Amino acid sequence: MRRWLVPLLALALSAWAQGTLKVGVVVSATGPAASLGIPERNTFLMLQELLDRQGGVAGRKVEFVILDDASDTTQAVRNTRRLVEEGVVAVVGTTTTPASLGMIPVVAEAKVPMISLAASKDIIHPVDAQRFWVFKTPQTEELMARAIVADMVARGVKTVGYIGFNDAYGEGWARFFEAEAKAKGLQVVASERYNRTDTSVTGQALRIIARRPDAVLIGASGTPAVFPQRTLKERGYPGLIYQTHGVANPDFLRVGGKDVEGTLLPAGPILVAEQLPSAFPSKRVALDYIQRYEARYGIGSYSTFGAHAWDAWLILKPALERALKKADPGRDLAAFRAALRDELEATKGLVATHGVFTFSKEDHLGLRFEDAAVMVQVEGGRWKLVRTFR
Amino acid sequence: MRYGWFLLLLLPFLLAPFPFYLTLLNFFALSGLVALSLYVLTGLAGMTSFAQAAFMGMGAYATALLTVKAGLSPWFGLAAGLALSLLLALVLGGLTVRLKGHFLPLSTIAWQVALYILAGNLVGLTGGHTGLTDLPPLVLLGFPLDNAFRYGLLSLLVLVLAVLALHNLRFSRLGRALLALRGDALAAASFGVDPAALRLKAFLLAGAMAGLAGFLYAHFLRFVNPTPFSLEASIKYLVMAVAGGVGTIPGVLLGAALFTGLEDWLKDLLPLLLGRQGNYETIAYGLVLAGILLLAPQGLFPLLARFLPRKEGSLPRAEPLPLPAPSGARGEVVLEAQGLRKAFGGLLAVNGVFFALRRGEILALIGPNGAGKSTTFNLLTGAIPPDGGRVFLFGKEITGLPPHRIHPLGLGRTFQHPHLFPELSVLENAALGTYARTRAGFSRVLLGLHGEEEARALATAYRALKRVGLEGLALEPAARLTAGQQRLLEIARLLASGAEVLLLDEPAAGLRAGEKRELARLLKALAREGYTVLIVDHDMDLIMGLADRVVVMNYGEKIAEGTPEEVQRNPLVRAAYLGEAA
Amino acid sequence: MDATILGFLLLDALQNGVIYGLLAVAMVLVFAVTRVILVPIGELMMFAPLSLVWLQGGKLPGTLGLALALGALWALLERGRGRGLPLLGGVGLLLLFLLARGSPALAYPAAIFLVVYLGVASYRVFFQPLREATVLAYLIMAVGLHVAYQGLGLVFFGPEQYRPEPLLSGEVLAGLSWQGVLVLLFALLAVGGLYLFFRLSLFGKALLAAAENRLGARLCGIRPEEAGMVAFAIASLLAALAGLLLAPLINAAYFMGFMLGLKGFVAAILGGLLSYPVAFLGALLVGLFESFTSFYASAYKEALVFLLLVPALFFQSLRARAVEE
Repeated sequence: MRRWLVPLLALALSAWAQGTLKVGVVVSATGPAASLGIPERNTFLMLQELLDRQGGVAGRKVEFVILDDASDTTQAVRNTRRLVEEGVVAVVGTTTTPASLGMIPVVAEAKVPMISLAASKDIIHPVDAQRFWVFKTPQTEELMARAIVADMVARGVKTVGYIGFNDAYGEGWARFFEAEAKAKGLQVVASERYNRTDTSVTGQALRIIARRPDAVLIGASGTPAVFPQRTLKERGYPGLIYQTHGVANPDFLRVGGKDVEGTLLPAGPILVAEQLPSAFPSKRVALDYIQRYEARYGIGSYSTFGAHAWDAWLILKPALERALKKADPGRDLAAFRAALRDELEATKGLVATHGVFTFSKEDHLGLRFEDAAVMVQVEGGRWKLVRTFR
Repeated sequence: MRYGWFLLLLLPFLLAPFPFYLTLLNFFALSGLVALSLYVLTGLAGMTSFAQAAFMGMGAYATALLTVKAGLSPWFGLAAGLALSLLLALVLGGLTVRLKGHFLPLSTIAWQVALYILAGNLVGLTGGHTGLTDLPPLVLLGFPLDNAFRYGLLSLLVLVLAVLALHNLRFSRLGRALLALRGDALAAASFGVDPAALRLKAFLLAGAMAGLAGFLYAHFLRFVNPTPFSLEASIKYLVMAVAGGVGTIPGVLLGAALFTGLEDWLKDLLPLLLGRQGNYETIAYGLVLAGILLLAPQGLFPLLARFLPRKEGSLPRAEPLPLPAPSGARGEVVLEAQGLRKAFGGLLAVNGVFFALRRGEILALIGPNGAGKSTTFNLLTGAIPPDGGRVFLFGKEITGLPPHRIHPLGLGRTFQHPHLFPELSVLENAALGTYARTRAGFSRVLLGLHGEEEARALATAYRALKRVGLEGLALEPAARLTAGQQRLLEIARLLASGAEVLLLDEPAAGLRAGEKRELARLLKALAREGYTVLIVDHDMDLIMGLADRVVVMNYGEKIAEGTPEEVQRNPLVRAAYLGEAA
Repeated sequence: MDATILGFLLLDALQNGVIYGLLAVAMVLVFAVTRVILVPIGELMMFAPLSLVWLQGGKLPGTLGLALALGALWALLERGRGRGLPLLGGVGLLLLFLLARGSPALAYPAAIFLVVYLGVASYRVFFQPLREATVLAYLIMAVGLHVAYQGLGLVFFGPEQYRPEPLLSGEVLAGLSWQGVLVLLFALLAVGGLYLFFRLSLFGKALLAAAENRLGARLCGIRPEEAGMVAFAIASLLAALAGLLLAPLINAAYFMGFMLGLKGFVAAILGGLLSYPVAFLGALLVGLFESFTSFYASAYKEALVFLLLVPALFFQSLRARAVEE
């Protein structure tokens, strides 16, 4: 084993000699979260091509080392340790909440800044000794739940039902949505779970319908989110149906077809970038990303998840440029990582596809609700902007 | 020699410049520990478990809850984790080790899936699918084990100790008994092995080992959530063990090392080979596994072991166990059947059979095919319970007792088709006989405190081999023996067991004439020493020259009893048996 | 709970149970003949509708390449005239797919043929060379194939679900779609057909003999390899048909197969891995448990379904008690 380790190390060293900046990326390109992880990986592959053409950052080549964690905590941790060892300046990832939580002790121990692509607030809150090193780009469930509940209240909803994945995604949504709903005076009358591999959700749908909620929220991601909605419709549920931003990809519309017509969901502004008022801060950046992604992967292929990865780079790039002025990663990697972290935390008013990022010592999410969430409705098989919160 | 395993502890020092490999080393040690638990279960005891990851989860969650929620020391967590995984093993094993065939693996799948879902949904207790964060690092002798190097020393030390303990187990009465149980539960039970109890103990041991691995996992990652303890993870460990060779300790460790490394090597290799990033790791992983099985269905290590120098064992030199010499007056009744009855469905296989076996005699039980001889034999030895009638051994009633309870009272048996264990050596096969005369339990064996008793057990077996003339083959695998030698080995195993009443089921079947004479001489000599022999056979020449008395059965009933000459003259016998044979 | 809900739940239980039942019957058949627990049956089942969707979109699915590659290996393993079957089959498959790209009517038989060819080739390449291996070794091999096929499914078809158009749309009555009726009819037909095949046709009887007594069958001149291939062909055919009929109801995706297969396996075990009718009944029972637990305690559904198995297993094992020899 050691025989080929030495050349590997030599390779790594020679890379440093040329001043390459390595950025570690962990995504869930396989396993249950693949539908989210694949666009994230695609975004980094696209970025790599872009940076190779443009010549990197501040005259240094940038190399993304992308590893798949198969939606599994152990693999994510292994990947992270491996990236740290390979001398990355920062780690971006991973797609799911539990795996991101598992990565935190590793990056904190190695003192490497990390930008998670997962949803939960627990990843960056509270900013303690470990989370000192951790930032994230996606909106939290809490933030998106606020948008949903605000919309529900505006539509006169009094009672709601919830059905979500029986995994970390559905659990996170259940927790924050139900808390927010109760805080705003809504009554949560049913809270059901299902698996993305289920062949039937009739039982859950019947239970929800029997409680007669004014609205139902489906806490699921990707195309498996269609299933409960279709079953609810088939069983004659008359009320409003909300989805989460986890469904914001073209496949959801393709599989859903007529069944998802009228669905309401919160989303990052990028989902309906063209329809945003021109004063909306993210509009231009989002359109730029969509154009690039579609040019690379085909018309209609973009999803909001890839944009989280793009945002991570938008934040990372200026921070890298500033940190390079303070420390030399070739000479003192530890100092550079620390400087990079400080510069990440110093990010102010950075306009990205999903909102405007302003980090501080207490806030490693950095998004303002008004800029980061809009309400969208499915209309005629397309995403239609319903309202912004600005 | 086997302390060479401690060399593994040098690995962290060698790999110290490559922290990532230290991480892999830790994962290797943890998977190795789980794979070893499967060595106990599948390799030794022949059971398949799909729930090892659930046991890990018990260990991991116990320590996570105690340290994070209650703020206790991780060592309390360890104790609780072990207790919890033992408790789970007890419940699960108690319910399921008696299940046969596919029922055991399936019920472990059921438990595994159920526990995984509980861990994900008892949000208040376990943190749900999101998991529990911020576990404290382990502190050992004042050193916090907070990096992969220090942790690697601990996890490898645990692994090496586990290897040594299991090595002790394999070469002990318990190891032999487990292997025998896997091959043939009835043969094991006839030498005093309680199948259900021993399986349960193996299950407990395997559960505790997996729980220990879970504890180490939790404090290494300092984070727990349900996914590492899923059915997929359990399958992964089983894959490791089977691909490496589940029947050997180096095999399961090889599997653990290979598959731990494979995932990362594939991540390096595949983009180079295919020239692009993709989701190809799992595909390659599956195909590598298929390839290994095609090349080596027994696992990789047995394939490699053919190229390794074969380790020569040594012959035992210790003092044999004290042999309770057959005592008591010749001619007294030692075994007595009173009105034995057994029906299978509507068919009466044995109907009201009476006879008595007297010390020092050779009694033959004969009859045409389907006369009920073998059933009678099985009723006497407890292999099947009778529907009616009673059996007495040395005046004590043994009716309905299971074989493993009857054997220690002084009764031993052989089988119609020799029940030997081909992968064990001839000596070890014979040493299985000493099971009921030795005492070392799991704790003594695992700690290696059984050495003296083990040496004496082997010496006893060796003496028995000498007695039947097989000492020259003692270190050969039993698979190499001829049919005649296999019969002799079965008798040697009986002699090593110290049983005084020997029940032999067709011992001459498949023997050549010379071998038969040899066998007859041996049996007569044994009878002279005070052993008592009951023999079932078809071979009239052998029986007539050997037996002191003969009991003849037909259609489940005894039709005659007497000296060979008497029964030969009996018209009923001639009609039923000799006539038929003629 | 009122009568309407009860009715819906029972219909739901029936539909799910029938799916598990078909898989269970296929697994029992394969196990009895070959001792293989066919874990990748779920993947085979999903390959059919996914390939269909690709064909209907005018694209050649990656599964075609996989089937042809395995077919080539199969041909390599055979000697002389034995090569005819894989070669002819492979060429036929390729032609069928090229034709079916343009005509939707051919897409269905093409997808079915693909899965059957793939199933038989998998047996010939991966299981038959193992011959007298232990059930455990077969099982691990099956797991390896499941992992590889699932990974390939992701590469070929992406992470999302697909929903082919149903053959029949609309509902017969509330809670039962025409497509659902089709599934039920197919299940009846399949189980009945298998029954007749095994009772009446000589080959079916021979296969059953091979299943019940492998050594005896060999002595009677039935080649176990042949029996194994037929068993895999029937099992893949059942899986392909079930997959095609179900996909409009449950959506098809690369990850959907494993859990379906696992529950089919559970049902098969309830049938002792030997009896077809009991396996089918077991499957209906699993469907029933599932329907009701998803109504009453959806978060714990799988836990309850699998835990309820334990007493069932225990009871079965007690009943099956005999001399341990």
